[in-house]
Amino acid sequence: MKFKGKSFIAIVLTPEPPFPDWFKEIDRIIARSPGFFIDRPIILDVRGSKIPIDELEELLAGLTERSVRVMGIDGVAGTRLKPGMPPSFSGGRLASDVDVPDPSGEADKKSNGTSETVSGGKTSAKGDGKPEKPGSEAPKTNGKSKGDGGETDSDTLSGPTGLADGSSIVITEPVRSGQSILHPDGDVTVIGSVSSGAEIIAGGSIHVYGALRGRALAGVSGKDSARIFCSKLDAELVSINGLYKVADDFDGTLRNAPAQIRFENETLVFEELT
Amino acid sequence: MSNATVVVVTSGKGGVGKTTSTAAIASALAKEGYQVCAVDFDVGLRNLDLIMGAERRVVFDLVNVVRGEASIKQALVRDKKLDNLFLLPASQTRDKDALTEEGVASVINELRMYFDWVICDSPAGIERGATLAMRYADEAIIVSNPEVSSVRDCDRIIGLLDAKTKLAESGERMPKHLLITRYDVERAKAGDMLATDDVVDILSVPLIGVVPESKDVLKASNVGVPVTVSDENSPAAKAYTEATRRLLGENIPVTIPEEKKSLLGKFFKGRAA
Repeated sequence: MKFKGKSFIAIVLTPEPPFPDWFKEIDRIIARSPGFFIDRPIILDVRGSKIPIDELEELLAGLTERSVRVMGIDGVAGTRLKPGMPPSFSGGRLASDVDVPDPSGEADKKSNGTSETVSGGKTSAKGDGKPEKPGSEAPKTNGKSKGDGGETDSDTLSGPTGLADGSSIVITEPVRSGQSILHPDGDVTVIGSVSSGAEIIAGGSIHVYGALRGRALAGVSGKDSARIFCSKLDAELVSINGLYKVADDFDGTLRNAPAQIRFENETLVFEELT
Repeated sequence: MSNATVVVVTSGKGGVGKTTSTAAIASALAKEGYQVCAVDFDVGLRNLDLIMGAERRVVFDLVNVVRGEASIKQALVRDKKLDNLFLLPASQTRDKDALTEEGVASVINELRMYFDWVICDSPAGIERGATLAMRYADEAIIVSNPEVSSVRDCDRIIGLLDAKTKLAESGERMPKHLLITRYDVERAKAGDMLATDDVVDILSVPLIGVVPESKDVLKASNVGVPVTVSDENSPAAKAYTEATRRLLGENIPVTIPEEKKSLLGKFFKGRAA
């Protein structure tokens, strides 16, 4: 039996008291783009708020009234939740903020990234997308380096574009085994090799001027147009917008050749760079 | 007076030849006339004393010194053959948690006052023992066998050297040297091992020497005399001596071990009438 892994960006709602005001904000977002919360995984984040269960119940009722269906609650022990409430949910890795789309109805656009089965691999991802409030603080970029994860997880984002907006970083030394470069906002350029056991996670494209022997995950903020370039392809795994391919499934002819990888028609296209 | 160079000999993986290399290089440096101290950081699994033939003269150890139970001078064991070579042994009865960062710092700082070279033999792994061994080093010798798992572990260690050492934290780059050990001429010929070039390419660290797999090394370990002292003319000893000269800054080409051709073979090569 095989389990498919799929990752989605979940919208994380963080209720801020007073709740009536907070609900007004939600109403405003729904009024502007009615489809925004539909068919999206939604997590209610009440960490640090020590919210009484009764109030949580009211919150959930309020959200249900607005047809916002919560799939999980972060920050409350599962044992405290009442029957019928969404399950407790924790962990996850922060991703870029989710923008509230223009009223032009873009929210209906669906392009959930799929991920191929990684044998024995678990895929989990959670995005921290606080709906942008009118006049609120500038969007934060959230990104935690994962350290030595053996687990494959990648973030994909459906819907609004314009997340990877061109800020790029350049790494001027080899990326060693066990190191992880996480840059959800744009391109990552590495001058040197990426070792086996290392990983590069970029919101945009990945450029490796050297051998790519580790993992490269490009376009993790939902960018299909992201590409991976390397002077020598010997990667363990490559991914663009959540679509994976492991080394075993690579076309053997490109091994050790300069190559680019792009996303086309829900597949990864490998091409030799000439 | 503290112009000593502290070198950590490290690899990540066990059994690649860190301890043997520490002993051989420390002895070779001592033979050049420097004041040398070899420090065994492998608390709980100490071996350097055996390789250096000092196991019967150990009284105090690194943990005693770190905890202030003995002075460094009491703990240092002088080598039997070389007057200017000392060993600071590890404790066999404790474990790595007995070492503290401040304690190690003060030991290294004190050793810097007495010696020209302090060679630290790192334990395997990437945990406390290994990170403390590299913490105060000025240079590193990365020991790798020509095989993939060893190379990957070295890569990991190099990453740590560039992140977790005092030198790295102060924004400097630690000079690193790659020493390939247990290089098997036969297997290299058959293509069963990673080529030296591939190892250097993967790790992108300058090569300091290639030590052939040899019975001389094993023999030397068993009698407790570093190979650079016991059998100076063996290929392994020559490789270590060469590595030491490069460590001292000499610019000499690295000899890749080759199969020895018999003298007759050389003379009569292709000369059959």
